[in-house]
Amino acid sequence: MSLDVSKLSARAIRDGIAAREFSAQEVADATYARIDAVEGPVHAFNELTPELAREAAARVDAMVAAGEELPPLAGVPAGLKDNMNLVGTHTTCSAKILEGFQSPYDCTAVRRLLNAGALPIGKCNMDEFAFGSSTENSAFGVTHNPWDLSRVPGGSSGGSAAAVSAGMVTVSLGSDTGGSIRQPGALTGTVAMKPTYGRVSRYGIVAFASSLDQIGPFARNVEDAALVLNAISGHDDMDATSVRESVPDFTANLADGVKGLRIGLVRDMLDLEGLAPEVREATEMSVRTLEGLGAEVGEIDLPTSRHGLAAYYIIGPAEASSNLARFDGIRYGHRVSDATDVLDLYMRSRTEGFGPETIRRIMLGTYALSAGYYDAYYGTAQKTRTLISQEFEAAFEKFDVLVTPTSPTVAFKIGEKAEDPLSMYLSDVYTIPMNLAGLPGISVPCAKSGSTGLPIGVQIVSKHFDEATMLRVAAALEGALGLDMTPPLV
Amino acid sequence: MAKDRLAGVLEQYEAVIGLEIHTELTSLNSKMFCGCPVEFGGEPNTRVCPVCLGMPGALPVPNEAAVEATVLAGLALNCEIAPFSQFHRKQYFYPDMPKDYQISQYDLPFCGLGYLDIEVDGDGAAQRVDLDGGPYATRIGVTRIHLEEDTGKMVHVGGSEGRIAGADHSLVDFNRAGTPLMELVSEPDMRTPEEARRFAQKLRLIMLNLGVSDCSMEEGSMRVDGNVSIRLRGETELGTKTEIKNMNSFKALHDALAFEIVRQADVLAEGGHIVQETRHWDVTAKRTSALRSKEEAHDYRYFPEPDMVPFEFSAEWIDAIRTRLPELPDARRERFAREFGLSASDARTLSEDVEFAAFFEEAAALAGTGLAKPIANWMLGDFSAYLNAGPVALTDARVTPAMLAELVEIIDAGTISGKQAKQVFTEMTETGDAPGAIVEIRGMKQVSDTGAIEAAVDRVILANPDEVASYRAGKATLIGWFVGQVMREMRGQGNPALVNEILVKRLG
Amino acid sequence: MSISEADVRHVAMLARLALSDEQVSRLQGELNSILGNIEKMQELDLEGVEPTSHSIPLRNATRPDVVKPGLPRELALLNAPEAENGAFVIPRIVGAEEGA
Ligand SMILES: [Mg+2]
Ligand SMILES: [Zn+2]
Repeated sequence: MSLDVSKLSARAIRDGIAAREFSAQEVADATYARIDAVEGPVHAFNELTPELAREAAARVDAMVAAGEELPPLAGVPAGLKDNMNLVGTHTTCSAKILEGFQSPYDCTAVRRLLNAGALPIGKCNMDEFAFGSSTENSAFGVTHNPWDLSRVPGGSSGGSAAAVSAGMVTVSLGSDTGGSIRQPGALTGTVAMKPTYGRVSRYGIVAFASSLDQIGPFARNVEDAALVLNAISGHDDMDATSVRESVPDFTANLADGVKGLRIGLVRDMLDLEGLAPEVREATEMSVRTLEGLGAEVGEIDLPTSRHGLAAYYIIGPAEASSNLARFDGIRYGHRVSDATDVLDLYMRSRTEGFGPETIRRIMLGTYALSAGYYDAYYGTAQKTRTLISQEFEAAFEKFDVLVTPTSPTVAFKIGEKAEDPLSMYLSDVYTIPMNLAGLPGISVPCAKSGSTGLPIGVQIVSKHFDEATMLRVAAALEGALGLDMTPPLV
Repeated sequence: MAKDRLAGVLEQYEAVIGLEIHTELTSLNSKMFCGCPVEFGGEPNTRVCPVCLGMPGALPVPNEAAVEATVLAGLALNCEIAPFSQFHRKQYFYPDMPKDYQISQYDLPFCGLGYLDIEVDGDGAAQRVDLDGGPYATRIGVTRIHLEEDTGKMVHVGGSEGRIAGADHSLVDFNRAGTPLMELVSEPDMRTPEEARRFAQKLRLIMLNLGVSDCSMEEGSMRVDGNVSIRLRGETELGTKTEIKNMNSFKALHDALAFEIVRQADVLAEGGHIVQETRHWDVTAKRTSALRSKEEAHDYRYFPEPDMVPFEFSAEWIDAIRTRLPELPDARRERFAREFGLSASDARTLSEDVEFAAFFEEAAALAGTGLAKPIANWMLGDFSAYLNAGPVALTDARVTPAMLAELVEIIDAGTISGKQAKQVFTEMTETGDAPGAIVEIRGMKQVSDTGAIEAAVDRVILANPDEVASYRAGKATLIGWFVGQVMREMRGQGNPALVNEILVKRLG
Repeated sequence: MSISEADVRHVAMLARLALSDEQVSRLQGELNSILGNIEKMQELDLEGVEPTSHSIPLRNATRPDVVKPGLPRELALLNAPEAENGAFVIPRIVGAEEGA
């Protein structure tokens, strides 16, 4: 009987290999077999990397043969968002301008994940340069939600989310600038977390908004997410915004329960226009569940945080417009062949190479930074950011964690919001404030929609560098709810 | 050309000059934001990495030593060191700039207001027609000093003389991209091209003393741009300024500014007005010409560099950097004048160059303070002439401080004459032999033995009775001829002072 | 604030984007709508509030002045659309000469 890894946890895979129940090579084979079966309709991957995966598997099997202690993620199939560099792969950000780009170096977080024994299965589809909340803005095709192929998986890390949800990989890495891990996590029924800003090195991930971006895991359970966080966290000399904070074992307190923890339901976020009633109910139900587990539950309003969306849609595009200047057709990337001079080369290579949402964000960001508008837009946004941070600081004096919805709705239909940028932007209203404040947040599946059966996620947020408490609450909720989050996909 | 005209123009107009000086921190090991080495030249794109190539996903991390060097320079120029500072991105597209923005500093530079005192003497002092023409000192304000990254280099193919204009295509090399670059902006406090030259020269000396850069204007590790405007004397409002680039030597700096002042006066004389523009100094044609300016105005869209966090320097940290300040040329000059009794101008020349000053101090220490003056004379005279004449750098010279000290001691003991000493010195530079050894081998010992000199004097007196008679009859100028005869007799080894003294005694 | 068509063209030039007339007019509408909403949402009193460029209190992050291995030239030029003699090739430059 051939191995089925689609439901195994990371720990089960590692332990199974260590116990010689199966080899890492068999895990790799089973993974690609599963991908053969389900990738077609889902399209989670831009590129599969079986050679790299099998080399990594061979190293794990050699360790088993040599009787060595296996690292924590030995043989665990992992997907990588296609904005993370890894030598031997293409890194395209799902953008035509980077089509065929061969990574000349490794992203630190990816390197650390692989050093922990994970198998690099492939590069996952995403919204172009991470601009979007649906993975529809990809130059290489739309990713479909494994729960309903007519719906989006969320975004921008939609490929990473769908690959885990569909059982094609055990864990994956995404990046989260305004909710790009947590929102697709909610829409695909996966556990998805954004660590504290500075916890994980950003070196090697193609930047969207440098002061907001953070790499984090997708997994099918909280413990696996914690194991990945263990592997990728820690200071990196190559990133001046990575902190020297000590990294605890994030799996150590997962079973400690929530008794005595102060949990704050963010009340006024439940009043925001556009929140689906079933998501609101699921959020309140989650909090009551935690209360039933012994947590001290209270409510709090965060009135400033609703302005996060406005600040984010200035800061994000402003930084992005600058970060994307380097795609000029000179050192790499798409370049028109018949340029008459350098200016012509820049203008046409960039216009041809960038998709419509990328152009929209570059225009928005350039405008917000341009002479005469800086104070009104960028300056105002940075001050709003200060107030949001202060508001969270005050909230964390009263509570250990805060609870909000992750996404205002369940997965929406492909094409539903594609023509309306503003309604798409509203998908991230609950996740954006945490990026502005640099806080860690995790989305945990908490319910299935009564009408559609689609997954609903709840967001748990803790203070800077206190991912351990956040994970502990997430694990308690996961255990209490006992949901089966296997999508109805063959 | 401009020189004579300049005097006339400066009678009528006052020039207002400010400088922007970029200095590459060539003494550092690695680049500003990555671990690639800081070196000059080499095969294209062989000192690059994802960071300095602006690869997708690469991140800059500031070089600690570059930050320290900038603060050190700020302290040397009496600047206020900012308690809170930050890098910003300066955004414009250009092919030699890998990220299409330059990481620089904007409204929060490391170093704020400071100053540099300069002295002007010689011919250049006369450019200040409002002063008396003699040497003077003046204080030039420093607006700020900040840190940024250098660009790559381009080779233009198919055009004339490698210039952009007319080139068919260009080749981009990023070896230099990311070299730490310190930018100093002066206040518009200079009034003559000579003051601008002195400011730049003094700044260079200070940077050399701090050991942060080799400050080569020719190789571009020190690049001086000038802003210049003129206004009628007595006028307080500033005229329209032009920015002058491509001045690759101190002479070019002086001449370009002089040309531009005269040109501006000519434009005004013809009833025209000055256009604010960037002009290029053509060293061959000896003129400035306007660079084709883009129709589009610059909008650099500065914003805080989000890949880096701000800097907060504590008073303790700044004090720790301050302890690294070496003795600077001004302080050393004063000390040399005081300790060794040197003239102001000798003390200045000796103190400017760190290595030259150290050489002097070592020789003076060996010979004793009493002989410091003759050592200074040797260093400013024959030794400088020797160093200036050839390709030999001080560090490669065969003459060591110990050898110079020995030479001066031998002269002081009267062992050799001044004339012999010059010969010995020449031989020292050629062979690297110690002066004592040269004197020994060449049998140059000066005879100070009174008996031997008396014997020679007596022989000359005996052999030349006619001349003796003439002398005694009052032809005193003949004494020189007698000295020469005695010297011939002694094959040049007689102590000239003693020969003279004994001759006068015997003849008288 | 309302963005004019000329503003859109100016910003496109700053960003080095060659937009068609159709793109210009569509973007003008979209940007006005997005910025209009952003302004509507921002009704906070920001008097005396300091701007935040980073959310974590990290300061003075530097690296020691140590040389590290870089990229071999083959890798540096691996993705170059056009290279010659170890250098990146660009077409001719028309316009002003920039400098640091
Ligand atoms: Mg500059
Ligand atoms: Zn480098």
